[in-house]
Amino acid sequence: MTRRVVITGCSSITPVGHGRDDILAHLTRGVSGVRKLKHDDLYSKYIDAGVFGTVDYSVDYDFSRRDRKTMGPVSYYACQVAKEVLEMADPGEDFITSGRMGVAFGSTHGSPLVQRKLYQALFDDTYTGYSSIKAVDYLKFMVHTTAVNITKMFGITGRVISSSTACTTSSQSIGFGYEMIKYGMQDAMLCGGADEYDLSTVAVFDNLMACSTDFNETPHLTPRPFDRDRDGLVVGEGAGAVLLESYDSARKRGADILAEVIGFSCNNNGGDLVLPNRNGITQTIKLGLKDAAVSPDAVDFISAHATATKHGDAIEAQATGSVYGKSPMVSGLKSYTGHTMGSCGVIESIMTLYMMQEGFIVPTLNLDNVDEKCAMIQHVREIIEADIRIAGIQNFAFGGVNTCLFLKKP
Amino acid sequence: MLSVVLFFLNVNIMSTIEREQIQTEIIRIFSEQFEIENPGPDEDLRDVHGFDSIDAIELLGEIESLLKSELTRSEKKAAMEIRTIDQILDYIESLAKTRS
Repeated sequence: MTRRVVITGCSSITPVGHGRDDILAHLTRGVSGVRKLKHDDLYSKYIDAGVFGTVDYSVDYDFSRRDRKTMGPVSYYACQVAKEVLEMADPGEDFITSGRMGVAFGSTHGSPLVQRKLYQALFDDTYTGYSSIKAVDYLKFMVHTTAVNITKMFGITGRVISSSTACTTSSQSIGFGYEMIKYGMQDAMLCGGADEYDLSTVAVFDNLMACSTDFNETPHLTPRPFDRDRDGLVVGEGAGAVLLESYDSARKRGADILAEVIGFSCNNNGGDLVLPNRNGITQTIKLGLKDAAVSPDAVDFISAHATATKHGDAIEAQATGSVYGKSPMVSGLKSYTGHTMGSCGVIESIMTLYMMQEGFIVPTLNLDNVDEKCAMIQHVREIIEADIRIAGIQNFAFGGVNTCLFLKKP
Repeated sequence: MLSVVLFFLNVNIMSTIEREQIQTEIIRIFSEQFEIENPGPDEDLRDVHGFDSIDAIELLGEIESLLKSELTRSEKKAAMEIRTIDQILDYIESLAKTRS
């Protein structure tokens, strides 16, 4: 016996705003969150890419020192969206601390800012350098720092899952959280992902020639998913969280149901760790449809991973087209935010949920000329009214990890 | 700040400082660094103010860097038993004696 799983709260901090109204304003007006890269006295002078999906506004944190002392910037993001989700869903303190609620939350690599301080100490051959390593540094940069700072702040005592699978980090968080509830292991899961501003990720992709570099002086014109002139991805930052609950639990306490998670799939390409794999992606989509128990023609909208790399977008379009044909509308939401890495899956899920609620679909930004290698799917070229009943959210990561989530309008 | 106290420690005139002066400095440190306001001299810092082992390590790190003197492992272990402001003052006095 399995249980239905619903979303009863969501929040995100993104390069296109913090919270529902701000994000929708950016999406509907076609405003990009990509900015010029900030200099960091280390990598930036060597990096060719000059753009970043930037959270360029301040966030009003109200955390006690007890909570702050184990948090790097990535955990500030994570705890803030978690706090907003719990305020929105209002499950009550007894439920939060009952052990029936768990956390599935991750980041690409903890807090790189804190890691950098640690490495600097290694090259400072003095006791002062050594003593600059703080007792709390590990708690700030460990891979599961976001998840356990959330459990600490809110007294959550259930299961902890902390995926760290690059671009599929938070889609796995939602998917694994969904499975926890579906199969009766937990009644609720606080799920999501976060990544802070960090140029080491940019440096890696830059060295792989995967970053956009042709639009350094016009950041809003990149990334360009599926466009003929796309020249690579734009790394970004951000965070997002959703509260998943069993349908029965949500109904019993009278919670507002925002959407239902009806399916999840995750597989691996079983080979190359970098190159996208058409067969792997195709199988992920098919597995997700099977889990959701829906046919391809029942899906109204696809949020594509669409990082704007030459190869990745073409492979995704071909795999998506082979399953769906031109039936669902497809948008690449990273065209607004850049690639927010560990948080992209949850941010794109939340944006999809907003569009589901509002009855429209925003276009892929900067898609001026569809690349013929990506032409086999139904691209959204301008904002359209649309009743999204079922949506698929696709994400793929280095390491050959693929995920597909399916949301249903309540 | 703690540096004021430790300056006195370094020049070995600890014995000339009134314990109350040190206490004033320590309370100021607790306010500025640990956001713990006016802890009583005998209050259990952990139970009453949430001053935990992480905070104790942080305090030791600052003492070390400002003393420019590494604490021994046994000195650090001894600090783990500290629960009150009074005990912190005793601890600082004992450090001063061993380094005088």
